[in-house]
Amino acid sequence: MGFLDIRNVTKSYGQVEVLHRVDIAVEEGEFLVLVGPSGCGKSTLLNMIAGLEAITGGEIAIKDRVINGVHPSKRNIAMVFQSYALYPNMTVGQNMTFGLEMHGVPKPERDKALVSVAKLLQIDHLLDRKPGQLSGGQRQRVAMGRALVRNPDVFLFDEPLSNLDAKLRVDMRTEIKKLHHNLKTTIVYVTHDQIEAMTLSTRIAVMNKGHVQQLGTPKEIYDTPANVFVATFMGSPAMNIVPATLVIEGGRPQAAVTDAEGQVRHLRFSQPGLAAWEGKPILLGIRPEAITDPEGADRKSGNIVALRNRVTVTEPAGADTFVTMTLSGKDAIARMRADANVVAGQAFDFAVNMEKAVAFDPATEERIA
Amino acid sequence: MSAVTQDTAVSTGRATRVFLYLILILFALFYLLPLYVMGVNSLKPLPEITGGNMMALPQTWTLDPWRSAWSTAQIGVEPTGLRPYFLNSILMVVPAVAISTIVGALNGYVLTKWRFRGDTWVFGLMLFSCFIPFQIILIPMAVVLGKLGLAGSVPGLILVHVVYGIGFTTLYFRNYYASFPTELIRAAQIDGAGFFRIFWRILLPVSGPIAVVSVIWQFTNIWNDFLFGVSFGGTSQPMTVALNNLVQSSTGVKEYNVHFAGAILAALPTLFVYIVAGRYFVRGLMAGSVKG
Ligand SMILES: Nc1ncnc2c1ncn2[C@@H]1O[C@H](COP(=O)(O)OP(=O)(O)OP(=O)(O)O)[C@@H](O)[C@H]1O
Ligand SMILES: [Mg+2]
Repeated sequence: MGFLDIRNVTKSYGQVEVLHRVDIAVEEGEFLVLVGPSGCGKSTLLNMIAGLEAITGGEIAIKDRVINGVHPSKRNIAMVFQSYALYPNMTVGQNMTFGLEMHGVPKPERDKALVSVAKLLQIDHLLDRKPGQLSGGQRQRVAMGRALVRNPDVFLFDEPLSNLDAKLRVDMRTEIKKLHHNLKTTIVYVTHDQIEAMTLSTRIAVMNKGHVQQLGTPKEIYDTPANVFVATFMGSPAMNIVPATLVIEGGRPQAAVTDAEGQVRHLRFSQPGLAAWEGKPILLGIRPEAITDPEGADRKSGNIVALRNRVTVTEPAGADTFVTMTLSGKDAIARMRADANVVAGQAFDFAVNMEKAVAFDPATEERIA
Repeated sequence: MSAVTQDTAVSTGRATRVFLYLILILFALFYLLPLYVMGVNSLKPLPEITGGNMMALPQTWTLDPWRSAWSTAQIGVEPTGLRPYFLNSILMVVPAVAISTIVGALNGYVLTKWRFRGDTWVFGLMLFSCFIPFQIILIPMAVVLGKLGLAGSVPGLILVHVVYGIGFTTLYFRNYYASFPTELIRAAQIDGAGFFRIFWRILLPVSGPIAVVSVIWQFTNIWNDFLFGVSFGGTSQPMTVALNNLVQSSTGVKEYNVHFAGAILAALPTLFVYIVAGRYFVRGLMAGSVKG
């Protein structure tokens, strides 16, 4: 029983079901991020919490009150839209207090709330301007201010940063994180940017095609993805997914892969519970940062496996150098320190941190270890 | 902005430019000629017109034709001048324009922001009403007005014009509101504003340009209408019908100077509306086409 309960919620447009039995319990003060590719139903779910879309099946409750039929203004939620949706004819101050005015809050109280929120967001010098006279970042702040003034139970954000340029996006991201840290509000936040999801959230719901693929903390999602979709969607560059065969050698499960020359190499797993897969094909998942040069390998890892392989391409990217190689006929990317001495076309001794490796069933694409 | 317009304008030599302006001025004079003729002849005594040159300036300037047209000229059987009919027209046109514009705005609001099953059909039918010729509805409308007890009255005329205008005003407002972001409506809903509050506080304040288009369009159409006026006006006929009666009267001498003055009087209100609101007109017409 959470603070915001989404219980078995489905959504259909006519015959088409776009959300399938979504079940999420959000605790008070949590920052839940809904992330997934375009069209997976994130906005639809958020709009159903807000009351802007009807709920086809299941129920949504805030503080144990089922709100299925309750009008958006009576749910005690506030929403920040992708386009900010500021009223163009009203000043910043009027924009921010419009909701309070509609709820019959007397003017002195409205002004008090306005002043304190405007101070908090550092927009107190803009209160008399119209939205058209603000920069993108300022509009973003006003939109958040409008939500904050209401002091709602739950904040809903629909891709609030996607209209900002790259630098401002990073700044506002930090700002939102600080705000959440200070105010301890409950937030549901929609984005298709996996970095935003990782940095902001206390928990992430990864969605695809109307299904919640995995619900968990950023660390759980990143380290133990439930399936290939989650593994490749979260993280940049994406996790390497390499076809392999499971062999048991010296009592330990190993992934047999082929290197660029067609030689079979064995990568020893740390995880238990793979014995049943002996002799069967699996998918081996390794994050780029788990493949390094021997000096750059994680010292705390108890299972670094050496792998000699030819380098296809190197891509220096400032802090890191990305190195591409061929494993079992597929491209695999390694993330090296910038000063690692790697030359394209030559063989190199890689160090693979198999403690971080995962394995998937090639048929269902679910994780098996 | 100015740099852009200069770039797109074709640069021409001085001679061509003079030539162009000459032609433009000639055309302007040609189009202004009727107004000039009406103006000068409405300020002459009648003998100067019948015996002299239509184009000449008055030898004796007089306002008598204007006074006569306004308050004493024979309209039909009564020597009332155009004044009472002018009043009829005002009493008809102001409510008719206001009501049709407000209803059009509400329709546009509902058709774009409160979609319902079959709304495109409703809109399609309203669009269709724009193409129905006046003549077809004369008899059914007469029956309806009779049943409502509004035949031959100003309220009856108002009703006819409102009904006929709603198709156009709905079209204008619907297209204007279609480009208005729906997220704003949703934000207002969450803020707790209801149907009318959203319309009044969020939508109407940004509807200026299209409201001007609607008002100008409706005003000129309703003011200049003759057919509905002569068919359903009864004893409260509008200005256009009275002007016709003034000019067509078969008794006595034709007082051309009075006719000219009366015609100008009949055209003044629309002229006034164009001058006051005209610059918004173009802006409003463009508003839907270019997102700004
Ligand atoms: N009114 C509608 N009628 C029919 N289908 C709809 C309607 N609105 C949304 N959908 C469908 O529902 C699915 C989910 O849409 P939604 O807007 O929630 O996606 P999203 O995850 O927010 O994507 P994005 O990241 O692009 O915003 C999409 O496949 C979309 O085509
Ligand atoms: Mg969306």
